[in-house]
Amino acid sequence: MKTLMLGATAVALLHITPTVILMDRPTVVSRLLDGADRYTAREVHLSATDERRLHDAAGWTPPDDVITFYLGKRADRVEGVLVFMRVDSPHGPMEVAVGFDKAGAVSGVEVTKATVETKPWIVEALRAGLRDHYRGLANDASPAGAGTVKGNVGTMAEYMAELVDRGVAHAGAAYRLFYR
Amino acid sequence: MLYDLRRSDARVRWLVTLLLCTLGVAYVFGAWMVGMYAGFTPRSVAATYVEPTMAMPMPAETTTVVEHDVTPEEMGHAEQHQVDLALLVQDTHVHVPMYGVIATILSIVALGLAIPRWMGFALITLLFAAPLLDFMGMWLTKLASPHFAVVTLAGGWAMGLGYTIVAALAFWQMWRPEKGAHG
Repeated sequence: MKTLMLGATAVALLHITPTVILMDRPTVVSRLLDGADRYTAREVHLSATDERRLHDAAGWTPPDDVITFYLGKRADRVEGVLVFMRVDSPHGPMEVAVGFDKAGAVSGVEVTKATVETKPWIVEALRAGLRDHYRGLANDASPAGAGTVKGNVGTMAEYMAELVDRGVAHAGAAYRLFYR
Repeated sequence: MLYDLRRSDARVRWLVTLLLCTLGVAYVFGAWMVGMYAGFTPRSVAATYVEPTMAMPMPAETTTVVEHDVTPEEMGHAEQHQVDLALLVQDTHVHVPMYGVIATILSIVALGLAIPRWMGFALITLLFAAPLLDFMGMWLTKLASPHFAVVTLAGGWAMGLGYTIVAALAFWQMWRPEKGAHG
């Protein structure tokens, strides 16, 4: 009976789409804002006009009209900027962390969240060297990481790479329009 | 009574036992996952389903910037798992049919229990109503008011109650020692 009661406790149940943390935020910060010893969150609350501007530029707007840039500083100088982008797909949401260096180029990209279903595809794409494509990319360039892994991974991993491309493109537009 | 679990073939009773155990394991891990992502309090459930946008109905006329210092750990703490409208549509689409299948399976087990007819009706109603209550709570929390988080919690507990009643009665009626039986 005790086991049954435990089972009952269980029940609030299976209804949450299982999100998987691929990399926690402190680890992402240490990788993409390397060298910084102080951090500032800059929350940009978009006006309707700016929201339209972003939509026209990137075909995307943040769901809550807020873009948060994390600035990594050393001796009060900004060493880099980090932004987390959520990308939705029929297989569940993915979160992509995009770092920018002092010159505004992409310093690195990490996938921080996936779902139980998408994790193996994302890992496959990452192992195929997807991240390498983004390093040094200008913030106004069109990411084409999916093209670099095509042929080396399965179709779903390639699709995941396209979603990462989309996240990097959104981050680039956000940085270009509202950080600079 | 369509069939009687007490007098059913041992293979049927074994099947029902394993089925209920399997569902029990799934429920335990389901609860674990809920604890990780949504929690078991009205406040944490509301935080999962109510999006920040709901507090800001219209975009501001001018873009505003707010800055504050954070630590890497605080960046992580800010990660409240959230289920937005698109994800809730997807969750509903994926889970409601499966809930229906589970409720049907438990109802079939309930049909074999030696219980009064009215209790059978009540149990079957509970098995189907609980998941609907669960999802109704999620939608009401998102679209109407965070206070409806309690409906989701009530739905979850009602699902547990339904499973517990069916499983406890089934195990007891299938495997209780017969009076006067040996070994």
